[in-house]
This record gives sequence, C-alpha cells and structure tokens, in this order.
Amino acid sequence: MTGISSLYTALSGMRAQSRVLDLTGHNVANAATPGYHRQRAELQAVGNSTPGLFAGTGVRGYGVNVIGTTQSLDVLYEARAVREEGARSQMALASSTLAQLQSAMPEPTENGLGAQLDEFWGAWSDVANQPDSAGVRTQLLAKANSLTASLHSTAAQITAIRDASMSQVAALGNDATGLAAQIATLNRAILVDPDHSLDLKDQRGVLLTNLAKLTGAVARPAESGQIDVYIGGRTIVSGANSFALDGTTGTLRWASDGATVAAPSGDAAALAATITDIVPRYTAALDAIASQLVTSVNALHTTGYDQAGATGHQFFDGTKLTAATITLSTDVAGQPSKIAAGAPVLPGPLAPGPLDGEQARAIALLAGSATGADSQYHSLITNLAVETSVAFQRAELQDQVADSAKQQADSVGAVSVDEEMANLTAAQRGYEASARVLTAVDDMLAFLIEHTGVVGR
Amino acid sequence: MRVTSSMMTTNTLRDLNLSLGRLQKTQTQLSTGRQITKASDNPTGTATAMGLRKQLNRADQHSRSLEDAAGWLGTADSALTSGLDLLARAKELAIAGANSGGISDPNARIAMATELRSIRSQLLGLANTTYGSRSIFNGTASGAAYSSTGVYNGNTGSVVRDVAAQDSLAINLTGTQVFGTAGGAVGDVFEVLDRLATAVQAGNDTAIAAEHLNLDSATQLMSAATVDIGSRAAKIDSIRSRTADQVLRLRDQLSNIEDVDPASAILTEKMQENSYQAALQVAAKILPMSLLDFLR
Repeated sequence: MTGISSLYTALSGMRAQSRVLDLTGHNVANAATPGYHRQRAELQAVGNSTPGLFAGTGVRGYGVNVIGTTQSLDVLYEARAVREEGARSQMALASSTLAQLQSAMPEPTENGLGAQLDEFWGAWSDVANQPDSAGVRTQLLAKANSLTASLHSTAAQITAIRDASMSQVAALGNDATGLAAQIATLNRAILVDPDHSLDLKDQRGVLLTNLAKLTGAVARPAESGQIDVYIGGRTIVSGANSFALDGTTGTLRWASDGATVAAPSGDAAALAATITDIVPRYTAALDAIASQLVTSVNALHTTGYDQAGATGHQFFDGTKLTAATITLSTDVAGQPSKIAAGAPVLPGPLAPGPLDGEQARAIALLAGSATGADSQYHSLITNLAVETSVAFQRAELQDQVADSAKQQADSVGAVSVDEEMANLTAAQRGYEASARVLTAVDDMLAFLIEHTGVVGR
Repeated sequence: MRVTSSMMTTNTLRDLNLSLGRLQKTQTQLSTGRQITKASDNPTGTATAMGLRKQLNRADQHSRSLEDAAGWLGTADSALTSGLDLLARAKELAIAGANSGGISDPNARIAMATELRSIRSQLLGLANTTYGSRSIFNGTASGAAYSSTGVYNGNTGSVVRDVAAQDSLAINLTGTQVFGTAGGAVGDVFEVLDRLATAVQAGNDTAIAAEHLNLDSATQLMSAATVDIGSRAAKIDSIRSRTADQVLRLRDQLSNIEDVDPASAILTEKMQENSYQAALQVAAKILPMSLLDFLR
C-alpha cells in the first residue's frame, strides 16, 4: 500500500544518494592526496525479510540504508608496496654513496691518482737518466709531494663520505622516532573514534611508508584497526606506544637499551653498510696502496746511495703507512741531493760513482710490478666501478619493482576521476528519481485529501 | 587492471624521466667527447683504459730515455770518429818518423813530435767529451774523465737506460774500454802517443816501431768501441721507431675505448630527442583528458 511510508522510502533514497554524492566529492577532492584510498558508501535495501502473515502481496521494502563507509584497499598489495619502497630508498642511497666514492677517485682521467703514480715513477726514471741534475731531483720530490697530497685528499674525501653518513644517521634517528610517535598517536585516535578512522588510516599509511623508507619497518595489523610496527623483528610501535631510536653516535640504536637497530632495508641499512663496510673497505684498500708505496720504495731507497755516497735514507716516512698520513721522510724532504739514486756496488756493498742512477732506475721499474701500488690501484678502481655499476643496476631494477608494487596497490585504492564522475551522475540521477517519487506520492496523497470525503471541510 | 589518472601521471612522469635521463647521458658524452665519463659507465672499459694509459705513460717515459740514449750515443760516436781520425794522423806521423831515420833536420822531428803531442791533447779533449754536463767516458764518476796530464778519473760503472718494457741497454763505454788501461808495459793511448812523440823527436827508430805497433792496437780498441757504440745506436733507432708505432697504436686503442664516436652519438642523441618530444606530446594530449570533458 502506497502511503505515508512511501514518503520515507523516497526520503531514504535521497539520503543515501546524497551520502554517495558526499563521498564522491570527498574522493575527487582527495584524488591527489598521497596515501588516500577511495571510499565507498555501503548501501543496503531495507525490507522485512519475513513478511507478516496477513501482509499484502509480495515483499514490501522500506527504502535504502547506508550501513557504512568502506575503503578500497588490498592489504597484501599495500604491505608489498611499503616493503619495496624501503628497498628502493636503500638501493638509491647505496648507489649514490658509491657514486660519491667514485667521484673521489675519478678515473680514467689525465689527473687522477693513476696518472700521478705514472708521473711519480716517470720522475724516478728521469733521475735515473740524469742523476747529476738538481732540477730533475727537485722535480721528483715535487711529484712525490703531489702524489702524497692526492692520497691525502682522496682519503679525506672518503672520510668525509663516512662523516656525512654518520650525521645522516643522527638525523634519521630523530625522524624515525618522530614518525613512530605520530603513528602511535594515530593508533590511539583510531581506537577512540573507529567510525571516522578511514582518513586517519590513510595518514598512518603515509607515515608508515616514510618510516619504511628510513628503516625498512614493517607493520602488522593489531586490535581495533591499530597497527604494530617492527624494525628487524623488534617493536617500534605497539598500539598507542612508540619507542625512540638514537643515531647520535653514528650508529642507529634503540634509545632504551642501546642495542643496534638491525634495519632490514631503507636508508638506515644503506647508511650502516656505508659506515661499516663500504668506507672501511675502500679506506683499507687505499691504505694498502700507500703502505705498498712506502715499503717498496723505501726497501730500495734505504740500500741506495745519495750524491754524497751516503746510504740508509728513507724516501717516505716509514712510520706513516696510511693514505691519510703518507709523507716524505725528513731524510730527503727538501734535500734533492739526498735522493739515493745510486745502486750499491756488490759485493760490499760499496758506494757507486756519484753519477750512478741504477737505484733510481730500479725504483722506476716498480711501476710495472704485478703486486705494486699501481696494480693495486687499478684493481681498486675496477672493483669500485663494478660495485657502483651493479649498485646502479640494482637501484634501477628496484625502482621498477617498487613502481609496479605501488601501481598494483594504486589499481585497487587510487581515485579514478572518470569512475567518480560516473558515480556522481548515477547518484545525481538516483537523487532526482527519489525526489520524483516523493513528489508523486505527495500528489497522490494530495489528490486523496482534496477529492475524497468532506469531513473537516 | 584498474587504471587511474594518478597512475597514468606517475607512469608518464617516470617514462619522461627515463627518456630525459638517456638524453642527458648522450649529451654528456657528446659535450665531454668521452664514452666513459665515470668508471661505472663501463668497468671493463675503464680497466682496459687505465692499463692503456699506463702503457702510454711508460712508452712516453721510454721515448724520453730513448732520446737521451740516442743523444748520448751520437755524441760518443762523433767523439770516437774524430778520435780515429786523430789516431790515423798519428799513425801517418809514426810512419813518417820511422822512414825519416835519415832526416837529419831536428826541427822537422820536433815539428812531428809537436803535432803528435797536439794530437794527444786533442784526444784528451775528446776523451772528456760531455753530454749535457756529464763526461760520457767517465763511468758513473763525476767531473772530467781525464785530467790534463792524462790520468783517468772515472770508474767502471755503467750507465743504463730503460728503453722498452723489460728491455734496458747500457749506453756508455768507460775510458779504459775506449782508450786502454793506463800503466803497465803498453799503457793507454795517451801514454803511447807520449812515448811516440818522444821517440820521433829523438829519432829512435826501434822505439818508433814499437810504439807504432802499440798505436795500431790502440786504434783497434777504439774502432771496436766505435762499432760497439754504432750497433747500440742502431738498436736504439729501431726501438725508437717501434716505440713511436706503439704510442700511435696505444692512442688509437685508448681513443676507441674512451672517446665518443661523434656520428653515432649525434644520431643517438637525435633519436632520443625525437622520442622525448613524442612522449611529451602524447603526455600533453592524454593526461588532461577525463570524463569531465564530455559530461555536460
């Protein structure tokens, strides 16, 4: 029986459609909001499913009810996207660190360390050719000085990369602590007001992605729409509580007990690798070159004879065996005539003639040694080049993986304006139609009231 | 797969970025003229290039040593050639002196003796020949090889140049190797000339004949030294031309690895530019489109 109740049925239609319109507006407004997932009104027909015994024919409906608002999101896709973002920022940072290292040792060039080594050995060869020339000897000392200066500055640049990474860790500790605290705050807000929690969850998702980029954190769902967040298996956010990280020492630690944070990915993992692996490894390789240079040159130089027939001079300071400290010994620094160009005359050993250049020639031949500083430097550069190029390839690949994971998540959750427009049109038409039903019922009732009976007239 | 406008924007942006990145890389190559601007561009190529650069630097070093050796040997050769001329003249004088048993004119003998003494001092001058500031017949000792009285100051040290990888060559002969050993029955060429002059002046035919023989062996010693020096110079010459070839070859190889082939790089750059423009145009057409444009 159509009557007053139909007015309410039409009204419920108008209410539901305006709720749909509402949400469409919300979706479109947030089409570009990071982390936003489109929302849908859940509509349900209202009917008494068990018709009364003497009810009329068929099932009578009582309109439509909005039973809630849901979010379109796929939990697995979202988790994967977060994880891949962590890996993406780890690999991007790792490759850019290696690129920095590589620019500290620019090769192949005319002025890199390789060229300086060549010039150094060449200067020895020149001394061998002209052991009597003070100019050539002075030139050798100058080349040796510029070689040690280059080693110093390369070592300093590598140290600077480590120092920058350590201060980045300190900043990262603060950021991660702040993000964890915000996630905990949102957890609490979601617990308190579950009805209006959808947008809060989206905000929390953005924070989680940022935390994953920093530390490789992963989330697991907890009670009542909250999430718990873990880094390397240890809890950083549990419900409404969060734990602080501390990076002020250059190592990321848990503030509560000082244990090292085992970040599985994210910037933290890349920084830890830089500080504990990459920088020490290349520093050691550079130090090995410096040390090889000092010991191999000194071994020959101390047995050689200078212009005055004296022997036993060190060329490099034999106590300074690292790239950062390598320096000319006080035996020869500033005293070109003390360069031991002459080879001992055996048996004896006796001093050779003052114009002998054989020892200088022997030192110059160190350039071609298979285990010498030059070949060590070549393998250092080759290793660095391979490691850098692999890091770039991995970063590029991870870029694609993370992009596709994000797309997969977006394909479920992101707002499509076209879709919203279609929904908008449908809701608008629905609203109009419900309004028309209302008018029709109103007309009918008016007709009944106007034209039947005379009571009360 | 459900496609949304934000996905399309992200995708388009990423593709544009990649395309621009490729374009930038080619442009860096073109503007620097190098294929390998960073070692990681091509690790294998970098390793090869570094090896080639090293070889090239060593070849340059060898070239310098070779020039030095060639100069040294040339100086020695011309000194020895002049020395042989002087000795030939001394021999003529010895023959003339011997045949002049009958020459009664003591002035003529004195003149011959004077010339012989002058030959001796000229030869001493040649023995003190320097290359740069260094006496070339002095071993590794400093200063002049012979004193004005003909005493040898040098030692037996050898002067060696690295002329190629794994190849070195002694470029000097010591005074004793060229002019003979002082002292003893015969002595060096200066003592022989001294005694010859005395014998000629005295008209002592027996002594002249004896010194004539000694002069012959001194000449043999010096011509052997000249031949020795000449053969070393020939070796240096052949190594020089080989080194020059090697330098050219190394430069060529290095250029193949390090340098950009401009034609192909420019072509690549044009293609990348076109594809970037096309991508931009497509993006400009597709991205702004939505259902909104068609709903009234």
